[in-house]
Amino acid sequence: MMITWIILVSLVCKSTQHGNGQENGVLQCGPQNLTLTSSDQMIMLTWTEDDPSCSAVHDVLVYELVVLKPDSSIPLTGEVSVMPDQIGSSHSWNWISPFALECFSHSVRIRSRYNKQTSPWKQEHTHPGMENLKRPGVYPKDRFFEVGSNFTFCCILPAGEIFNNTPGSSKLRRISNQTYAFTVHMTQASNYTCNNVYCPSTEHGACAYIGYPPQDKDLQCETRDLQSVECHWTFGGDSPVSHKSPTVYHLLGRECREGGGGLEIRGDEGRCKMEVEMDSGEINWTLTAENKLGKVELLDRADLIKRVHMIAPNTMTASTVNARNVTLEWEWTVPHYSNLKIKCHVNISHGETHTIREYFGVGLNFTVLNDLIPYWKYNVTVRCGTTHHLWKWSEWSTTVNFHTRVPDALDVWRQAVGDKIIIIWKMPLANQSHGNIKDYRVTWEKTRSQGKEQQHTTVYNNDSLALSLDMTEEYIVTVTTRNEYGSSSPSTITIPSRNPVSDGTERANTSWIVRSSGSFNLSWSPSPAASCGYIVDWCPTVGHCKVEWLKVSPNQTNARIFSKNFTDGVRYLISVYACTQEAPVLLDRSEDYVRETRIKDGLFQSLKWKQKDSDVEVYWDPINQREQSAFIRGYVLYWWENDSSEKFSTNASTVNPEDTSLTARKLPINNYKFIVMAKTAVGECGTTNITVTLNPLNNLVKPVLIPLLTVFGLLSLITILCYQHWTCIKQKVYPPVPEPVLTWPTSPGENRCRPLHVDQYPYNEPEFLDVSELHYNLGQVVNGNVSEDYKPFASTQTPGGYINQPLKKSTSPPLTLLTIDAPSSPFRSVFSNPSYNLLMETGDQQSSPGPRLQEGTPLGRSFSEYQPQSNTQTFNLFQTTEEPRSPMSCDSTYIVLPKST
Amino acid sequence: MAARRTRRMIGSDVSRTTAARAAAIAEQLRYECSILLELYKKRESFSADFSVADGRLVSVPPPSSQLDTRDKLWRLHSALLQCRSLLERAINKEEAELGDGRKADYETQRKKVKDRLSLLLINTGELLKAVDGTAVPTPSLDGLEIDGPTVLFELKLWVYRIYKEVDYWTKTAITTLQALPSVLAKERVMAPRLRSTRSARR
Repeated sequence: MMITWIILVSLVCKSTQHGNGQENGVLQCGPQNLTLTSSDQMIMLTWTEDDPSCSAVHDVLVYELVVLKPDSSIPLTGEVSVMPDQIGSSHSWNWISPFALECFSHSVRIRSRYNKQTSPWKQEHTHPGMENLKRPGVYPKDRFFEVGSNFTFCCILPAGEIFNNTPGSSKLRRISNQTYAFTVHMTQASNYTCNNVYCPSTEHGACAYIGYPPQDKDLQCETRDLQSVECHWTFGGDSPVSHKSPTVYHLLGRECREGGGGLEIRGDEGRCKMEVEMDSGEINWTLTAENKLGKVELLDRADLIKRVHMIAPNTMTASTVNARNVTLEWEWTVPHYSNLKIKCHVNISHGETHTIREYFGVGLNFTVLNDLIPYWKYNVTVRCGTTHHLWKWSEWSTTVNFHTRVPDALDVWRQAVGDKIIIIWKMPLANQSHGNIKDYRVTWEKTRSQGKEQQHTTVYNNDSLALSLDMTEEYIVTVTTRNEYGSSSPSTITIPSRNPVSDGTERANTSWIVRSSGSFNLSWSPSPAASCGYIVDWCPTVGHCKVEWLKVSPNQTNARIFSKNFTDGVRYLISVYACTQEAPVLLDRSEDYVRETRIKDGLFQSLKWKQKDSDVEVYWDPINQREQSAFIRGYVLYWWENDSSEKFSTNASTVNPEDTSLTARKLPINNYKFIVMAKTAVGECGTTNITVTLNPLNNLVKPVLIPLLTVFGLLSLITILCYQHWTCIKQKVYPPVPEPVLTWPTSPGENRCRPLHVDQYPYNEPEFLDVSELHYNLGQVVNGNVSEDYKPFASTQTPGGYINQPLKKSTSPPLTLLTIDAPSSPFRSVFSNPSYNLLMETGDQQSSPGPRLQEGTPLGRSFSEYQPQSNTQTFNLFQTTEEPRSPMSCDSTYIVLPKST
Repeated sequence: MAARRTRRMIGSDVSRTTAARAAAIAEQLRYECSILLELYKKRESFSADFSVADGRLVSVPPPSSQLDTRDKLWRLHSALLQCRSLLERAINKEEAELGDGRKADYETQRKKVKDRLSLLLINTGELLKAVDGTAVPTPSLDGLEIDGPTVLFELKLWVYRIYKEVDYWTKTAITTLQALPSVLAKERVMAPRLRSTRSARR
C-alpha cells in the first residue's frame, strides 16, 4: 500500500514537471519584481521572470496587462509577447493616460499566459490621486502645452462640495465623487507668465505654459578657422515658455553650450560652433533643438574644405603711402590662412566712386594699390575668400583711410667716415614731399635688441645724421619724414657690425666704366644676392667726400651716373653694392675721372738728382695718384746740355706710375737741364725741371783718395811701432859689430832683442821676430831680371806702383823662401858674404816677369782678397826656424818689398 | 511712568506733524497699491471679479477699543513691517518662478509700492518713537508664512493676497494716522486729571 502511494505521488510529480510550469491550470511562470513608475501622464511597468519553471517555456509567453481607473468602467488592456530567448530578461510596458495621473488613482494588473494557462494576477498601484489625498485643486499643475492642443484637466473639489451647474465653455464631466474633468483648448500662447486654468465656479486653478516646440530650420554648416565647424540656422523665435523651458541644442550629439562662442542666438539666427577634425569629404551635420514641447532635427550635408568662410582681414594698415601707390597690409587672425589660396576684393572709394580690384595669393596679406590719384583721399576696405570652391566672401574689413599727400618714402643711404656712420637721405623734391616737410625722424636700434632699445632723434632741414654706433653690433636705421598731412613710409637700412666700406678684399672686379660726356656709364655683373636691386655710390677720392648714390632695380645691371657735382680732373671712387634684405653687400669698387685734365706743372715738387760716375739719377718723392687730375701711366725724363740749342735730345722713361726715379746714363761732363713729366691720357704733363752740373773730379775721388788715406794710415802705424821699439831695432839693425864683417852670434839667443809681439797679425801663437837689415849686392847676379843699377832692395814704395793681383794663400811648410823668379832661367845665387849665404833658388820654371811671393806657411789670416786699383805696400815678416838640411841656416826676418816695375 | 507721560507730552506736537505726514504717505501708498493690483490682475489674466478667500497673512493682535494710541501705532507699525517682508519675498519669488526678465509697468509699480511702504514704515517708526519716547521694538516675524507656495497658480494667488494685505493695512494706516491728532489732543487734556487723581491717591 505504502509503495503504491509513493508511486502515485511520484507520477503526479512527474506529470507536474512535464507540464511546463502548469500546475492544476495555473501557470507558475509569472511576472516577478514588478516596478511601476510614472511621469506626467505616462505609466511604465517593468518586470522579469525568474521562476525556474519559465525555463521550460519553449513558445511565446504572453503577458496580459489591465489598467484600472475610475473614469472608465471598461478596463484598458494590453499584451506583451515574450519570445523564448527573451525569457529571463527585463520587460516593460507603458501607457499614456489622457488625464494627469494626479486626477485619480491608477492601478495596473499583470499576469502571464501560456498554452491557455495563466498565472495569477499581480497588481501594482500607481499615483493614489489627489482626491484620495484630500488635496482639492486643478490638475495637472504647471504643465507645458503646445499652442492649439487640447487637454483634459481634472478638478478635485473639496469633500462635500459639488457643482451646481456647468458654467463656461468647459464641459465638465464627473469622474468620481469629488473629481470632475474638463477639456481646455490651448488657443493662446502664454504671455508674461503661465496661463491660468480655472476649475469653473471655483477659485481653484492651475497654471499652464502654452507655447511652441522648437521651430528652427535651414541648417548650414561651414568652417571659419579650418579647425572648427560653425553651423547656422534660422532661429524659430523665442517661445513664450523659453524662460521656463529653454531650447537645448545638440550638434552631432554634443551639446552646444552658451558662452565661449559655442551657442549664440542673434536675432533670427542661431549659431553653434564646435572643434572638429577637418576630414575631407562630405559629412552629415545634424543639429537637434529640443524643449519641453518637442524636438526638431536639422540636417546639412557638407564638405567643410569646400565651405570655408574666411574671417575678415584684421589690422588693416596703409603701410606705405605714396603719391600714386599705396601698400595695404593686413593680418589674419587664423594661422591656417597662411597656407590657403586666397583671393581678395579691395574696395577703393573716393568721393562717390567705388572700385573693386581683385588680388590673388597664398596667404595673401598685403597688396599694392597702384594708379592712385595724388593729393587724394581714399577709403579702402578688403574682403577675402578661398580661390577654389569659394563658399562665401568674408565680411568687409574695417575701412582704412589715407591721403596720398604724405611724403614719399625717403631714399636713404649710409657712409662710413672714420668710426662714425653718416646716415644720408635725399631731401624730397616738390613732387615727393606733397607738402611742406616738417622734419626727419631717424630711429636706430641693435638688430639683436628687437625693438627694446630703440633710439631716435629728429632732424630739421638737414639731409644727414652722424651716428656713433658700436661697430661690433649690427644696427637697423629707419628714417621717416613728415609733412603737415602725416608721416612717410619708413625707409630702413642695415648697418652691419663691420664696416663694409673698408672690406673690399674679396670682391671681384666685375664692373666696367665708360665715360660719357660728363657722366659715367657703369655696368656690372648680376649678383644673386641683389634681391632688392643695386646701389651705386660715388665720392671724390680726396678732399671732402659727401657720397652720392643711385638705386637700381634688381633686373638692371647698368646705370648712367650723373651728378651736378661732377668736376673734370677729379678722381671718383665708384662702388657697386647689392641691395639685400640685410646690409648692402659691396660688389665692386673702381676709380675714374669724368674727364681727365692735364696735370699742372710742378708735379714733382721734391725733384732731386745725384751723379753716379757719368750717370745722373733724377728722383722724387712718391706721387699721390689720387690727387692728380688724370691717371699717371708712367714718367719720362728729358735732358739737354744747357748750352745746346737742341731740346729733348735724349730721354728716359718708365710706365710704372709708382716709380720714383729715372736715370740718364753716360753723360759727358757738362751742365744739363733735366725735365720730368708724367705720362697721362691727355699727354705728358706735370712738367718739373732741374739743372745739373756734372763734376769732373767726381770720378777720381774714390780710386785716389781712399788708397792714399790707407797708405798714410799704415805708415803712421809702422812709425809708431818703430818709435816704441827703437832700441831693439837699433840693436838689431846696427849691432856693435865691426864693419863690414858680419858675424853671427855664437848663441842664437844672446844677441836677440827681446821678442816683439806683433799684435797686428792675428797669429795663432806669439811669434818672436828677429829684425835685421839685409843688404845685398845684385851686381853679381847674371840674370837680367835684377836691376842693373844696383839699387838697393829697400823699403821704398815705387811711386804709383801697386800689386794688381791677389795674394796667394800660404799653405806649406813653415820654411819660407824668398824666391825671385827669373824668367829666363832658374838660377842660384849666393851672397858674397860667406857668413851670410843666402840661398837663392829659382822657382819651378815659372816665367812670370816680376817678382812674386810664393805661398808660405799660413801664419794666420791670409791675404787672399783682391783689392783692385790699390797701391799696396806689403811687408811680410817671417820667422824661420833653423833646419839642419836647410841650404841656408839663417834665423832672420826678411822684409820683402815689391820690386818696382 | 510719570517720566514717560512727560516725554509723551513734549513730543505731542512732533507727533501730530509726523502723523499727518505719515497719513499722506499712506494715502499715496494706497493709490499706488490699487494701481499695482490692477496691473497684476491684468498681467495674470484675473477676471474683474476675481477674488481670493479672506484671511490675513499678517499676524497682529486683534483691534480693540482698549488699545491706547501707542499700542495702536505699534500694531500698525508691526503689520506694515510684516507687509514689507511679505512684499519683498513675493517680489523675489515672483521673479524667480514667474518672471521673464522684463521690466514693464508692473515691475516698476511693484518697486514703487515697496519703496513707499518703506517710507511709511520710517514715518510710523518715528511717530511711535515720538509718542512712546523709547526705541521702537522690532516686531517679531515668527509665524509669518514667508516662504510661499511652490505651485505657480497658488503662488500667483499668494502674491495677490500679499498685495491685498498691503492694500488693507495701508487703508488701516490711513484711518489710524488720520485719527491720531484728535486722540493725542484728547489725551493731552486728560493727562492733568490723571496726574492729580494719582497724586491724591498717594
